[in-house]
Amino acid sequence: MKQVFRSFSLLVVVALMLSMFAITVTAQDVAREDTVIFDIDESAVPNPQNFNYFVPGTNRNQGAHQAMWEPLFILNYESGEIQPWLGLSFTPNETQDVWTLALRDGVTWSDGVPFSADDVSFTIQLLLDDETSTLAGAADMQQWIDSIEQIDNLTVQFNLKSANPRFQLDYFSVRIWGSVVIMPKHVWEGQDPFTFTFYDQEQGWPIGTGPYTLTSANPTEFLWDRDDNWWGAAAGFHDLPVPLRLIWQITGSEENKALLMSNGMLDSAMNITPGAFEAILARNPNASAWFADLPYAWADPCPRQLSFNTTIAPWDDPTMRQAISLIIDRTQIINVAYEGTSTPSQTMFVQYGGMAPYIDAIVAAGMGISPTADVAAGQALIEAAGYAMGGSGFYEKDGAALTVDILVNNSTAEYTRTTDVIVEQLRNAGIDATSQPLTGQTWDDSVNNGNFTAAYNWDSCGSVNEPWNSMNRFTARFVVPVGERSPGGNNWVRWNTEGTAAYSAIVDQIGQLPLGDPQIVDMVVEAYSYINAETPFIPLVQASKLVPFDTTYWTGWPTAENNYNHPATWWNSTHQIILNLQKAGS
Amino acid sequence: MSGITLSYLLRRIGVLILTIWIASTLIWIIPRLTPGDPISAMVSRMIRTSGYVENSDKIIEGWKERFGLNDPLPVQYLRYLGNIARLDFGYSLAYFPTSVNQIIGQALPWTMGLLLIAVTITFLLGNFLGALMAWTKTPRLIKLLVPIGMLFTSIPSILAAIFLIYLFAFLLNLFPMRGSYEMGMQPELSLEFAASVIRHGTLPALAIVLVSFGYWALGMRGMMITIEGEDYMQLARAKGLSPFYVLYRYMVRNAILPQITAFAITIGTLVSGQVLVEYIFTYQGMGTIIFNAIGTQDFPVIQGTSFILIVMTAIAVLIIDLIYPLIDPRISYER
Repeated sequence: MKQVFRSFSLLVVVALMLSMFAITVTAQDVAREDTVIFDIDESAVPNPQNFNYFVPGTNRNQGAHQAMWEPLFILNYESGEIQPWLGLSFTPNETQDVWTLALRDGVTWSDGVPFSADDVSFTIQLLLDDETSTLAGAADMQQWIDSIEQIDNLTVQFNLKSANPRFQLDYFSVRIWGSVVIMPKHVWEGQDPFTFTFYDQEQGWPIGTGPYTLTSANPTEFLWDRDDNWWGAAAGFHDLPVPLRLIWQITGSEENKALLMSNGMLDSAMNITPGAFEAILARNPNASAWFADLPYAWADPCPRQLSFNTTIAPWDDPTMRQAISLIIDRTQIINVAYEGTSTPSQTMFVQYGGMAPYIDAIVAAGMGISPTADVAAGQALIEAAGYAMGGSGFYEKDGAALTVDILVNNSTAEYTRTTDVIVEQLRNAGIDATSQPLTGQTWDDSVNNGNFTAAYNWDSCGSVNEPWNSMNRFTARFVVPVGERSPGGNNWVRWNTEGTAAYSAIVDQIGQLPLGDPQIVDMVVEAYSYINAETPFIPLVQASKLVPFDTTYWTGWPTAENNYNHPATWWNSTHQIILNLQKAGS
Repeated sequence: MSGITLSYLLRRIGVLILTIWIASTLIWIIPRLTPGDPISAMVSRMIRTSGYVENSDKIIEGWKERFGLNDPLPVQYLRYLGNIARLDFGYSLAYFPTSVNQIIGQALPWTMGLLLIAVTITFLLGNFLGALMAWTKTPRLIKLLVPIGMLFTSIPSILAAIFLIYLFAFLLNLFPMRGSYEMGMQPELSLEFAASVIRHGTLPALAIVLVSFGYWALGMRGMMITIEGEDYMQLARAKGLSPFYVLYRYMVRNAILPQITAFAITIGTLVSGQVLVEYIFTYQGMGTIIFNAIGTQDFPVIQGTSFILIVMTAIAVLIIDLIYPLIDPRISYER
């Protein structure tokens, strides 16, 4: 027996020695002080060696479109300007149906081959030639572009099928998350755009024009090292970025993110809860966010709303939908579900500076939404529709209780928490409300096919510095019968009345006017009067993204004070952030 | 082989093939019973990232056509059977153009490496402690320590994982919080890389061992107590055999049989990974792959991973069935 115990003890000692030995061999070849560590908010990237930009669903925010693939232009959310990057200018003719792109001179791919109009023409033509319209951006390009012409080595002309004042903004300026990224013709020519993975270590693939190249990729981690031959430094566009290495890693649970950031092992996390952020702050005073104090968070461009299927009684009655809007206390949603990190929506639009003229005009016209509830007014509308309070505490009509089942995507706690607050408010007001959490794709399928009564969503997403993008999503052209999938996920509330027709006519006119045309403000107010009157959806609150940064090793992160752009480090505009980073204390 | 006839062997292989076919059919049917479809799920994932996908209806229809999801179900089923017969599970729908074989090939070695070691340690440790718990000669100190250690078995693995991370990674900084190997390292056959893998695998393995060794210990203890009362035990002691010899040759050898069966089945199911442990430690194994595949309704990946799971479990059961006569001479299929 003693022998058994002796052997077991020996085994334990050997294991401990092995682990101690292991600890001594973890030196990194790039110092932590020269490395920036970002977070990827997913559980894994099962195909880390796929860099086929054209296939929808391919991961791009593992560093590919933040460090390697540069956009042509970047929309600055703070100033509303479209800033040049690989492109110098993108100008329309007077009728907005011919756009001319001028490229920056001196740009090269990381393998040294010059970036030129050839690459732009090749990429766009490849998308136009996709007969299946399924490559990323193909349907969009085919919708608008009739033909492209290469004027010279640095100039491309886009001949559109019809006028589109937002052509540059919508597709080439990182309006939201990504943009059409130009691929290298000398690599992609002759490849099958559906199956080519654009990864070959021996050939140095993938490549881009950005200041970093891929060093290694596995399902939980991507390493990018600085390319000291980056065109930007040579061409005088910008100095080389300071970080020698960028790492994007999957960090798992929010608890893990908090522990990593508390320990100085994570410089930038994607969205986290206020509780987790305050836990980080308690341990790491160098942590920061967009605002130094509450609400901490930056508003992302997809405001939250509650939508009703306008084909289902009693919610096909605009009065009933208006009653719900009056009953909802948006301030309580902010306080309870968002822990103070967001703001109530005044209109359907995201409340960025560039949207202020439109929001202010709508509010001035008396159509702004109150941040607090007027339950009595809401109940009066319900009673006017023939309902009376029943013995169970819920409104009834013809013996049936007034019910509403709200579908909610269960992928984040934000969605379910908000819906829970709304359900509670409606029940207190006499509506038998319930919530039904569903997985993302089931929720998506249900709402798009019209198989729902009410749904929590963010489908006014689109506008950032002009109103047409969001308003267009509720026009009559997208209406399809229940059971058919809504085109492009637009107007799945199936708002289809005379008011919709009038609204759509005005929105179509807005779509023809150049960005910033002074007529647009009044037209928006007029179109919004139909939304206000019929309430096809109910704006709730602004979306909040609490993006924490650690300034222990790196400073220069975007904040409300240092607002060179927004802080979304998973967007194609992250190039700006990386170029702004400086070593702490330098 | 002693105790096995050819007809039994052939019949057993026939059952194996039938089991695999029925199970493969079920794993083709079950994912299709859920609402939604994988392409909508892919677009839904894109919308979650980017807020809004223009022309998503065209993308969905086009990709359904490309993947044959618009074909009649019998056609899809026959195509599936043909593919699995060639061990070709096709492309992942969620991560096209990556093939299912590539995805599995990347994750399987990590899961097998981690879990094979963790489960073997759990099996050995659990049965060792279980045997000691039932043995009358065990020192009192050991008998006291075992129940304390078994407290962990009532803790979910996810909490054990968080506790281990907090203690050993965050407070003591002895082990890394996440990943399968050191940041920046390239997988290679080197001592340094092996040490890094061991170091990164220690806490995940410990999380698995801590929460599961008690089940083995309790099972072993129960079997040992049952055997304790057998007549041959009285005889062995009456013959004056040493207590340790009686423990090893008489008690453990008889008690271990059902444990070995359970161990074989456990080994067969290893490919499914440990979803929660992998998630918490960001370990690049099969659990995460299966979890993602279910979430995205990625039929080929669900089918591919489940098929391997089915085959491994069926083969493990077959092997244990065939080697039973070697472990216990009382078992014979020759009658």
